[in-house]
Amino acid sequence: MTVENNKSIDNELNSKFKLFSLSRVMAIAMNTFTQLVRMKVFYFLLIFSVLIIGANVLFLNFTFEQELKILQDVSFGAMTLFASIFSIVGTALLIPKDIEDRTLYSILTKPVPRFEYLVGKLLGILFLVAVSLLLMSILFFAVLFVRQHGILAEEINQMRGQPSQEQISSLREDIFAQGLRLELINGVVAVFLKAAVAAAIALVVSTFASSTLFTIIVSLVIYFIGHAQSMALDYYFPEGDMHGALQRFIAGIVAIIFPNLQIFNVVDGIVSGQSVPMSLMFRLTGLTGFYLFIYSFVSWVIFAKKEL
Amino acid sequence: MSKDLPTAVQIKNLTKIFPLPFRKEKVVAVDNLSLSVKPGEVYGLIGPNGSGKSTTMKVLLGLISATSGSSTVFGMSSTETASRGSVGFLPENPYFYKYLTGAETIAFYGKLCGLKRKAIKERTSELLNLVELEGARDRRLAGYSKGMLQRIGLAQALVGRPKLVVLDEPTAGVDPAGSRKIRDLIMQLKEQGITVILSSHLLEQVQEVCDRVGIIFEGKLVREGSLKKLIEIEDQTEIVLENAGSDLLKKISDLVNQESGVNLVRSGRPRTTLETLFLKETGGDSKDARNDS
Repeated sequence: MTVENNKSIDNELNSKFKLFSLSRVMAIAMNTFTQLVRMKVFYFLLIFSVLIIGANVLFLNFTFEQELKILQDVSFGAMTLFASIFSIVGTALLIPKDIEDRTLYSILTKPVPRFEYLVGKLLGILFLVAVSLLLMSILFFAVLFVRQHGILAEEINQMRGQPSQEQISSLREDIFAQGLRLELINGVVAVFLKAAVAAAIALVVSTFASSTLFTIIVSLVIYFIGHAQSMALDYYFPEGDMHGALQRFIAGIVAIIFPNLQIFNVVDGIVSGQSVPMSLMFRLTGLTGFYLFIYSFVSWVIFAKKEL
Repeated sequence: MSKDLPTAVQIKNLTKIFPLPFRKEKVVAVDNLSLSVKPGEVYGLIGPNGSGKSTTMKVLLGLISATSGSSTVFGMSSTETASRGSVGFLPENPYFYKYLTGAETIAFYGKLCGLKRKAIKERTSELLNLVELEGARDRRLAGYSKGMLQRIGLAQALVGRPKLVVLDEPTAGVDPAGSRKIRDLIMQLKEQGITVILSSHLLEQVQEVCDRVGIIFEGKLVREGSLKKLIEIEDQTEIVLENAGSDLLKKISDLVNQESGVNLVRSGRPRTTLETLFLKETGGDSKDARNDS
């Protein structure tokens, strides 16, 4: 190694310490992503493929509306399940494991603030969830595309006599309206946003949990309560009955500890053919950003004082 | 280099108390401990298990906070993240990400130290050569032996060109040849003027490489000083002769006996160490070293 090279390395190392460095965060995020990829998590794609192909084969005798709906239901259901599992289990598995294995020692004894470590881990998990959802979406959309064209051909074949061009156009319109459409992307985005909130929940829990199992169980409990939270609030504080400041305060605290995850379930409406207003998508994105910020902050407050 | 730097490590009246969960009692892990390490010095921290060595190191590295007292690294409080910029740490029984290769591991830690892509590439090759793991650079750590893991651990500790290297039991579980390699690396660091704090149960090793030693017992620093001063027996003198015949030895013995107040404590053949014998008989090689290539 030349003296010049040594000098350039020294310059990089001696450059002033930054309180926040995106490159350090990205190093941790990419390392987390690599870790999960090398744990062979993408094998789940095989299960996903079997599920959606199975949904096709099993429901061949249904009407085309039912068949396309079932395909979308199964696909979105599987995407939600896998994305949630990756978010919760991935986060719960990695941070407590770093602490148990003392891998964290070698990271935090480098000039890495604890906040960067947490953000890096969270980003790595979110990156993995995004890539898996992208791959599942490609597979899902491809199967849907092939199936809707297959259904069209089958329906035309079953028509008596020679169908007119108008009849074919009308049929195509009916089938395609329930097949591959832009609205489905909103569904995938909503699944991602819900998974991101679930990952942030697991991040908070993992900062004070003593084991991976504890983190998974507590995160899953919060996740399920999050789906029933709005119902419970409606029951105890019926709309128009939330007058007192105390009631509002309690409702606010509950909403922060148990985020309303039911609000992210827009896929049922999409599969039934309803459109999702963009204002709702913006609201969901904003809500996810809020929860990510709050939960990351709480995680940092707990983790900053943690004795390792 | 050393002259321009402030004291490498300054620990003042450090106390660390751990509360016991659901109990009123508390464990005093470190009790009013003070020590300082000069730049370029190799300092050995020795003591039995649970004496407070690792706790002291953890406070110094910002992994835990002190109950009272302070610690600084090159003048900067060890509670500041920036102080870790000049420190390299090899934990006891290090666990790294097993799915990464040797080269990827060093690159990862290099990025955390703020190195850019080109510098990381150069530094990785340089360090793999230094720890003699060039042959295993693309092998995942899951396939590394204990000794190889210790050496990759040492490489990651050095990636940020630290001015202070903290080694916690660097040779624990490593065979004599691997242990010797690590000892040689410590000597190389010393030659480069890098300050080293070494915690080890292998007292012979500490004796070989350290300039100064601190003995911790029950959280307190019970003895500290230059190794030579600490271990020399002040009222005895050693003479080692080569090819001395029995006549000469008898003459020396008689001469000593003529002096009043002087006693010949012992005479006989000096012994080599078991480690030296082992290395001689096994050619100084180890399975680790063979695995590397």
